[in-house]
Amino acid sequence: MATFTQLTVDALTLGSVYALVALGYSLVYGVLKLLNFAHGDVFMVGSFIGYGALQALGGSSSPDVPVWLLLVLVTLAAMAGCAVLGVVLERFAYRPLRDAPRIAPLISALGASFFIANSMQLLFGAQQRDYQSYNLSGGSLYFRGFDIGQVHVPLLRIITISAALVMMVVLWYLVNRTATGKAMRATSFDREAAAMMGIDIDRVIVFTFVLGSALAGAAGVMFALRVPTAASLGFTIGLKGFTAAVIGGIGSIPGAMVGGLLLGGAESYTAGYWTTTWSDLVVFSILIAFMIFRPQGLLGRADIRKV
Amino acid sequence: MSDTTPFSSDVPAATPAVGQDEWVARHAERRLARGGRLGAIEGRLRVIPWWAWLVLFVAAASTMPAIESSGYVRRVGFDTVIFMLLALGLNVVVGWGGLLDLGYIAFYGIGSYAYAIFDSGQFGYHVPTIVAIPAITLLGALVGLLLGLPSRRLSGDYLAIVTLFFLELFETVATNGDQIFGHDITGGADGILNVDPLSFFGHALPVQHNGIFAVSYYYVALGIFAVVFVALRFVNRSRTGRAWRSLREDPLAAEVMGMPVNWLKLASFATGAAVAALTGTISTALSASVFPLNFSPVVLITVYAMVILGGSGSQAGVVLGAIVVNVLLQMLQNPGQARVLFYVVLAGGVVAAFRLSRRLAVLVVATFAFGALVRGVAGALHRSWVDGAHGGIAHAISDWVVIPVRLASWLPPVSYGLLLALVLGLTLVRNGWLRVAVLAPTLYLAAFVWENVMLPNPGPTRYVMLGLLLIVLMIARPNGLLGERRVEIV
Amino acid sequence: MKKWIVLALAALAASVVASTASGSARTAAAAQKISCRSTLKIAIVTPLTGGAAFLGQEQLSWTKLAVKQLAPALGLKIQLLQGDTPVEQGIAPAQTLAQKYVSDPTVMGIIGPATSGGVAASAQTYFQAKMAQISPSATRTDLTYTVNGKREGTPAFFRVVPADNVQGPSDAAYMVKTLHVKKVVIFDFQEPYSQGLATAVDNYLKAHNVTTIRVSAPVSTTDFSSYVTKVPSDASAVFFPTQQPPQAQTFAEQLVEQGKKAIMFSSDGSDAPSQYNKPGGYLSNFAPDITGIKADASLIAAWKKANPGQQVGSFGPPAYGATQVLLQAIHNACAKGHGSITSRADVFHAVKKVRIKNWILGGSFRFSTKTNDPLNAKFYIFKIQSDGSYKLVG
Repeated sequence: MATFTQLTVDALTLGSVYALVALGYSLVYGVLKLLNFAHGDVFMVGSFIGYGALQALGGSSSPDVPVWLLLVLVTLAAMAGCAVLGVVLERFAYRPLRDAPRIAPLISALGASFFIANSMQLLFGAQQRDYQSYNLSGGSLYFRGFDIGQVHVPLLRIITISAALVMMVVLWYLVNRTATGKAMRATSFDREAAAMMGIDIDRVIVFTFVLGSALAGAAGVMFALRVPTAASLGFTIGLKGFTAAVIGGIGSIPGAMVGGLLLGGAESYTAGYWTTTWSDLVVFSILIAFMIFRPQGLLGRADIRKV
Repeated sequence: MSDTTPFSSDVPAATPAVGQDEWVARHAERRLARGGRLGAIEGRLRVIPWWAWLVLFVAAASTMPAIESSGYVRRVGFDTVIFMLLALGLNVVVGWGGLLDLGYIAFYGIGSYAYAIFDSGQFGYHVPTIVAIPAITLLGALVGLLLGLPSRRLSGDYLAIVTLFFLELFETVATNGDQIFGHDITGGADGILNVDPLSFFGHALPVQHNGIFAVSYYYVALGIFAVVFVALRFVNRSRTGRAWRSLREDPLAAEVMGMPVNWLKLASFATGAAVAALTGTISTALSASVFPLNFSPVVLITVYAMVILGGSGSQAGVVLGAIVVNVLLQMLQNPGQARVLFYVVLAGGVVAAFRLSRRLAVLVVATFAFGALVRGVAGALHRSWVDGAHGGIAHAISDWVVIPVRLASWLPPVSYGLLLALVLGLTLVRNGWLRVAVLAPTLYLAAFVWENVMLPNPGPTRYVMLGLLLIVLMIARPNGLLGERRVEIV
Repeated sequence: MKKWIVLALAALAASVVASTASGSARTAAAAQKISCRSTLKIAIVTPLTGGAAFLGQEQLSWTKLAVKQLAPALGLKIQLLQGDTPVEQGIAPAQTLAQKYVSDPTVMGIIGPATSGGVAASAQTYFQAKMAQISPSATRTDLTYTVNGKREGTPAFFRVVPADNVQGPSDAAYMVKTLHVKKVVIFDFQEPYSQGLATAVDNYLKAHNVTTIRVSAPVSTTDFSSYVTKVPSDASAVFFPTQQPPQAQTFAEQLVEQGKKAIMFSSDGSDAPSQYNKPGGYLSNFAPDITGIKADASLIAAWKKANPGQQVGSFGPPAYGATQVLLQAIHNACAKGHGSITSRADVFHAVKKVRIKNWILGGSFRFSTKTNDPLNAKFYIFKIQSDGSYKLVG
């Protein structure tokens, strides 16, 4: 039972990060019908910006500001930096290709992913970067927390899960209750009709990228607080976030959240209960089967093409 | 349409035929006339049949070992032929079938592992090459078919996802294949070693002489390339090829017209997979080993870059793309050659952008002046700021570019970021003279970043360049070098 | 547009022909003796990009330092060539690079290949071309020993670090004799380094009646919390042969987080006091941490100055040592040939006899007579103290 609880906590923590990344994918796909392969690398850049901010504020052993403020500032820095990166990506790598055949922005995204990942390695080296959050206020982030039976849930995980939850709620609010959100939904439904109704498509798309990339940046910081990050991480996490978006139904926001949690769960439970050698194989087989029998994902809309 | 020559376009018509619009009739002629002198040469070249080009190419490639006795260059030549084959195969799936297959390299892997399993000490089988190669090609086609079967209902993006997952699946199986129910099938992460070389009629072809690459493998690869090229060409000219074309242009219309869309997709998948598996056998025979990491997404992206650069849909184009990309990647490994390449490209790009005009002259003068000024100031301030260059050409260049002995740790990210910002900003500037004014320091900064940040690290630099190439290509010339400009009818 | 494409391709072709032509001119001059006063070349073959780039870049930085410091001291002019073998591209780069260096007669030796797979793929090429390779990190046992009738290495392959068959059993022996373990969870990461060590430790422990549990994680795993649940609460120790110190640190923290009592035991890849310093853990290394060796203090200072902001790890110093051996061999060959050498074969023959007095990893260095491994290679066991420093305990 303790194992199950622990694994569930793992699933939630991992799943929140995947969900945030998946949200970015889903948002952009909904509006542009583009699979933004560079999204995982934006996540990675976020974790690096967070690292830089952490060092600038004194490092984890002796920060210049109280711990809670440190976390907030680091996260905000990463979100801001990634938002800028997302806007630049959109403006220069995707906007010129808006009316090109579908394969063109996809290839451009692949190229952008390569460019970003290798530029980071070029500039900052290939070593892993560890936030060493254990040192923050003497390890209190790990020791404090609450216990469910035998399982101790550290404060850090609680922060991660709740921050992700808060961001998802804010996002839901932005998309469903504001005018810009409505414009986003309209654009994702039918771009040309939305343009004809007077919606500024460019602005909506930029806004989407800002949102998605900021979420990825936050996810990067939350991820790196617990495990070390490196320049080559973007591809792996990007693939997982992308998988989560697909399972949940790409283009659907609640779908991305569900997909993220499901993927986190699949990984944790398979690794914990079953053979770890083949856990990857199992996950990928499930995914392929899923795609074949329900390509629109759990909560996605089946693609109806009007002729 | 009339794929008679690598440079595809219509034969000019002087007067409109019955039922043909006069503009259409004159269009080809006008295009020729627009081309000027080069267009006239092009017109004459167009008359040469495709097989003549192929023979010429293979003949030229065959003489390469005679000119170049270095084992290294010959080995690079062999690798290039392998990439050419892979690009041809991918061209079938992406260029002709219009399917985005992100798992293509898995078929390459399946062919490689199949050869390694059946021709090595792993299980003790030593199937003769004459049997192994065709058998593995068929195996590749079969696996392609199997993968294609469940994927037929999937459209573009979803197909990409499933094929990417398939690649990851393949990698996982290959990496952990030493524990399948207690049997060691794929050798796991250590791979399979001591794979047999190719052997024809009992004669084994050794892979090296005294460590130097055996040139016979180059010829074998070239021969197989020629055969595959011709075979694919015939497939493309057949009914299947024409059906692929219509499927690619408008899948819905094709379906409505009664084309067996699913079968066509399967056929293109299977053909591409067969070519990839075939390529796997030769390259494994030469390497005498196979490892799971040989088939990672990096290789996939490289082959995609080749196909895109050359022009998907055009066989000659992807071959050209393969040569250019592989040669570039090899050249960028070597700092001396990379430096020359960079400055040639920079100068060439500037000349291409400005033609031979007054602005160009002003730009060149301004850039050199700016550089000399900065260099002078830096040198005057502190000797160690400009003394970092080693080697002949670098020394000459360091008279213009600032090359410090040691870089402050903030300098690479800041200068790189600044360069990126300037370049991106330049694309937004419209005013001609303002462009020149900003371009001069930007060019100097580019040289600075190249010499100090990128050249010392040739590894990641190659892939940065590759990524950049893909983006720029998609924006400026998505049909690549020799491809046709396609318009998607939505 | 097409005009420029044609011109660009023509320019590219011309530059390729020009650069390779200059290469072949050098090959023609191979017949003569090579003067030791001309610039000789050595090449480092290691992953400089990709997932294992952290290893390669570290080795490169120390090799550069060695060339800069030692070449002038030995009266040599050495140019260092960099060969990149990204792990994602398998062994093809290693083979292509082997061809490249073998065909250049001024290349005297190779530092590397860094990966055991790269060695296996290119050893024959180098041996037949009489080129010595000195690897600072390829530890697979069958590269210098005959294992189950197979031997992947050649007489031209040397290494300055001991093989897996030394580290695995010595770690396991310490666990049994000093830590008195009853149940051990052994991790591997589905790649040759960890699998070799894991298997060696597993065999030894099983032979000494210790219960072992094998856990295998993909090498790209960064979050081990689910794997930690596989560690039973009554496990005495966890063997964690990672090559990334931050991974060891994270895993150790997660062990504590989930209340596991098992002791962490890791291998030389995790040796980095600034990154892995969770008290209570053990690790093994083929050398004491060089920051603790007084004689290396100036060396470390010089390295830190040339690489600001970087941490001293465990992969770099052996690369320095390997370079030192190679340069010394070149120097000895030159001295024997009175200022000139016939070919790189002279250097190859000189490598085995090299002795170094102030070895960067402590003590002195020479090769074993039976294999091309260091003589009397042993592994040192360290325990991490409460202040994060490493203390030699075995």
